[in-house]
Amino acid sequence: MDEKTILAAVQDIFRDNFDDEELVITRETCADDIEDWDSLEQINLLTAIEKKFGLKFQLADVRGLANVGDLLDLIARMTA
Amino acid sequence: MGNVYLITGASSDVGCALIRRLYQPGDLFLAQGAGDLSGLAPLVKEFPGAIHTFDVDLTDPAATDLFIEQVGRIAAPTHLVHLPALRVVNTKFKKFDEERFERDMSVQVRSAVKLCKAFVPAMAKAKRGRVLFMLTSYLLGLPPKNTAAYIMAKSALHGLAKSLAADYAGTGVTVNCVMPSMMETKFLADTSNLIVEASAQANPMGRNARVEDVVPAMAFLLGEEAGFITGVSLPITGGSAL
Repeated sequence: MDEKTILAAVQDIFRDNFDDEELVITRETCADDIEDWDSLEQINLLTAIEKKFGLKFQLADVRGLANVGDLLDLIARMTA
Repeated sequence: MGNVYLITGASSDVGCALIRRLYQPGDLFLAQGAGDLSGLAPLVKEFPGAIHTFDVDLTDPAATDLFIEQVGRIAAPTHLVHLPALRVVNTKFKKFDEERFERDMSVQVRSAVKLCKAFVPAMAKAKRGRVLFMLTSYLLGLPPKNTAAYIMAKSALHGLAKSLAADYAGTGVTVNCVMPSMMETKFLADTSNLIVEASAQANPMGRNARVEDVVPAMAFLLGEEAGFITGVSLPITGGSAL
């Protein structure tokens, strides 16, 4: 799956999760940019991503994620 | 005459472990499950004649009434243990599934009301009885986000337990609850690993609850020696919620 497709799907998940249809994310977007993005929302985002892409994350996989770019790379690796 | 245990949700990991823990020769177990009762099969073999299994969909009021009638024809329960719940799904409130919530309320709450109404008065008359509900540590302090349906159903059950405890305190019937933190059983099949792992890490004891942490506490509350304890909801959390 190419990065553009992954980004589009992840953006839909972010929009749904944070209840903001206008939300635009980039590789650089991080938790500091979205007010409600706390550790619980992080898990909600990740579980929605698991469902969407048919993945199973372990805590160790997701602990070091610093921004959306890291997340996209992780999804790309796991769906490759 | 031994005890007559009526256990709903008995095919769960907790239900099966509880039966194994409680069993004494002469006891009778009336064990309800829905759909998949395979967990009970080894127990039926191990304790021949002591376990009657019932496959009953507790979302169906007519099926529940029929189940109560069948139980009544076999024996009057001395102990009622109510465990069933729909699996927890983490859902944003804007996507709250009302139809599923109704089913959960039927499985957890309406069935408990029917069962207690059918069997607790007879326990009171016999001056002997134990009622035990499965709650959750999510009812202690701030609940986790996105679990409104589960919290509401468990809160209603908590209310029923406290009310029954008050109503029947003078009769020798006790009504208690256990409140385990996240327990690693097949009940978590629909919960992401991430949530399960994060919960274990957040626990002061570094792990989630296990069946063997919870079942002995249940057995205690169901025992003769706990006769002066009623209306209690016992946290079993490793210190994660108090």
